[in-house]
Amino acid sequence: MYPFWEVPLVTSGMIIAFIASFHILPSHLATGAFWFNAYIEREAVKKDRPELYDFLSRFTLLILIFCFVIGSITGVGIWFSATVASPRGISGLIHNYVWGWATEWVFFFLEIATIYVYYYTLGRIDKESHLKLGVAYALAAWISMVIITGILGFMLTSGKWIETGGFFDGFFNQTYWPQLFVRTSMMLGIAGIYATIVASRMKNKAVGQEIVRKASLWGIAGMVFGAIFTLWYLFKLPESVKDMAFHGGLPYLKTLLCVAAIAYFIVLLYFIIFGLIRPQMAGTVTGIIILLVLFIGIGAGEGFREGARRPYIISQYMYGNQIIARDVPALGVKSEVAKYQEKGITKSLYWAKHLDLDRAEDRIKAGRMLALFLCGNCHSFEVNGIIRPLPSLLSRVGVEEAEDIAGFMDALGDYPYMPEFPGNDLDKELIGEYLATLPKGGE
Amino acid sequence: MDLAQFLNGMRDPSGVPFFPVVFQFLMVLTFTLHIVCVNVVVGGLAISIWEAWKGGPYGRRLARGLAKASTIILSVAIVLGVAPLLFVQVIYDPFWYASNTMSAIWAMLFLVWVCTAFYAAYGFYLGNKKGDAYGELKLFWAYVAFGAMALAGITIHTLTMEALLPDMWHKWLIDGNGALLTGGARFHGMALGRLLHFFMASFAVTGVYMILYAWYFSPRPDMEPEYLAYVAKKGVNIALYGTLLAAATGFWWAGEVPESLGFLSNPVFLLSVLAAVIFILYLANSQNDPANHAIPITVLLLITVFVMSYAREILRMKYVGAFDYSIFAYKLNLSWGSTLLFFATFVLGLVVLYFPLLCAFKTGRTEPGKVVVIPEKVGSLANILLVGWFIVVAGLGIIISFKNGTLP
Ligand code: HEC
Repeated sequence: MYPFWEVPLVTSGMIIAFIASFHILPSHLATGAFWFNAYIEREAVKKDRPELYDFLSRFTLLILIFCFVIGSITGVGIWFSATVASPRGISGLIHNYVWGWATEWVFFFLEIATIYVYYYTLGRIDKESHLKLGVAYALAAWISMVIITGILGFMLTSGKWIETGGFFDGFFNQTYWPQLFVRTSMMLGIAGIYATIVASRMKNKAVGQEIVRKASLWGIAGMVFGAIFTLWYLFKLPESVKDMAFHGGLPYLKTLLCVAAIAYFIVLLYFIIFGLIRPQMAGTVTGIIILLVLFIGIGAGEGFREGARRPYIISQYMYGNQIIARDVPALGVKSEVAKYQEKGITKSLYWAKHLDLDRAEDRIKAGRMLALFLCGNCHSFEVNGIIRPLPSLLSRVGVEEAEDIAGFMDALGDYPYMPEFPGNDLDKELIGEYLATLPKGGE
Repeated sequence: MDLAQFLNGMRDPSGVPFFPVVFQFLMVLTFTLHIVCVNVVVGGLAISIWEAWKGGPYGRRLARGLAKASTIILSVAIVLGVAPLLFVQVIYDPFWYASNTMSAIWAMLFLVWVCTAFYAAYGFYLGNKKGDAYGELKLFWAYVAFGAMALAGITIHTLTMEALLPDMWHKWLIDGNGALLTGGARFHGMALGRLLHFFMASFAVTGVYMILYAWYFSPRPDMEPEYLAYVAKKGVNIALYGTLLAAATGFWWAGEVPESLGFLSNPVFLLSVLAAVIFILYLANSQNDPANHAIPITVLLLITVFVMSYAREILRMKYVGAFDYSIFAYKLNLSWGSTLLFFATFVLGLVVLYFPLLCAFKTGRTEPGKVVVIPEKVGSLANILLVGWFIVVAGLGIIISFKNGTLP
């Protein structure tokens, strides 16, 4: 086990979620915006309309400074936060998908090269080549999405990988295609909103409104197709996930989906009303409000995707507490649950090697380590904790004494959203003794 | 449980999908490119502050040039940094993850520093863009950017050092009462010589960047030859003294390395010293007309930094080797398909990259107002390759999906 980083009240997982939500918008924008850009630039080149270049230059600078950089820093940020919150989880992904990420990195590099050159050569190289630069960026950025979708999808549905250990078997899993289509539609929708904001601020009102209208058509197409593909995506989810989300289990998942659907609907209305019917009314403030609505919607959607893979962090393979759940013979991987249930986990804890388990206070310390490693990824330990506070939950199920808690560990695996307990009787006793020292959270 | 057993047991059970030496090579290569960019940003900000104070009109113009460069090169540095970050996690996962979780708050703050540095650099550049190129500069954002870069550098340095000292981990993480520390707020392991070495190298690299700058802009009629000569002269001096200081701090660093590792007699280390000596001699020899030697100087610099980075990697192998950890003992689960995907994409990427680089190179050398014409085929080829990549991968994906029953 790696050292553990404890984030009071909210757990370290929330730090990932926090950074990830700042990543979603800029990254989808950085991916989608240039398709629209290239479309407008093509108009400018083919129909010889230089007045459109004003839009291109503004649009690009904002994408460059805001989206591209925030997108790449928060992208690295998700990585770093996953590293400190779930080191074994990210390690598992990286050791299977390192070449996927490395391939994506090639496209990152192309993105940064093309976007800077695109911006700084606007009006300085021949128009055809400039347009091609824009297209190259759009392609490279979208391909980076084509790749990351495979890895993200793998975490929720690991496909045939569990049998074969094959890179592509996990990559092209059952949710890959629907997810790719949803994200692609969505990125066009986001680009549409963003373009309406920039266009509504243009000095040349007639051109501005024309662009608003075009952007709205893109937006509507993106939203409609996005909705269709989302249904396909939900349909493709494994039964166990559907059960957990729609029939009891974790009802909050359903709420998240509703939030996402409502946000979706509002954005669609925006495009219809402000884009097609009254383009002169589109403005910065409404645009930004709509961006926020979409932000919440996408956040809810990603929250659903993240939540739906419980109790796993990598579907079927690794539990949320970073313990390997089963054998993967193709890779020579052995279940750690089985190993620890047989041999005990405290004995194998390097950090506990100095503890003397005959002393009561050392037993508490060992128990705390176990609780951190086995429950701390998903539960906070404070009574007033925000994310699934263990004291209140234990009181809710009525297990507050050490022996009762130890006994309760056998029941963990019966919950559809919790991993089974990976330890022997000694481990159960220790964790029980520690958890019993937490303040009681019952009413 | 002893430490070696613990460390080796922490390796990822999935093993690695290709021979570790390949990841190691790619790690060193991409680290070289990354650190060169970081050096230009750190050195460039420091030199532009200095030139804005003391440099006279040419110095102030140079400061503006470096300000603009720092924004672009920092974003390139960020992207380049992703690669060694990825590869280190493949072959040195037990070390990297332990140090990061141990100092988690610092790992998070690192992002804050980088973000701050980027926007401050932009503030510095945009705040001084308008108006007289030779006029006084506003420096507030330059200080912020430099400070943030320094903090980012110190943070990564510490995370790296902590990773190399696993025998200290237990002590660092268990408090006086024997309980596990979980705050992630402490950081350890600073090695001043090593840190300063990277800092001094920034001047060496930025000096070379300035020589290259003078060479690159020399054909442009709107660039005053006197200004370019000023930049080249400054550049070669800074490169020379920067390298000497880097060498001095390098020996300090060498003194910090435990003797038991036998690092100082390692051939790669000796080779890196030799490379540095050749580089210094060549610089000293080009002092009269540096811009004309820009290309060989740059090539020599890159070779030197690459060999140095390899020496740094050898040092890491020695550190972890003391605990019976070897990257070559990693379990192999060969994945030829994905390895091929990467290398094919890598080659394709280099070809595509030619297009933006050509556009940038040509426009930069043309005075503003003139339009550069790029051969039509270059851009078309780039885009055809990108589309081709997608068609091949999507085709493969569809076949696999039908075979596995994940489609329809
Ligand atoms: C993979 C994440 C995860 C891990 C690891 C995990 N839990 Fe949970 N646990 C959950 C979720 C999700 C819930 C549902 C919370 C809710 O109902 O709001 C839950 C609920 C509970 C409950 C309340 C059950 C009920 O019937 O209401 C208890 C008690 C509990 N967990 C204890 C533990 C203990 C003790 C551990 C460590 C041995 C642990 N959990 C590990 C995710 C996890």
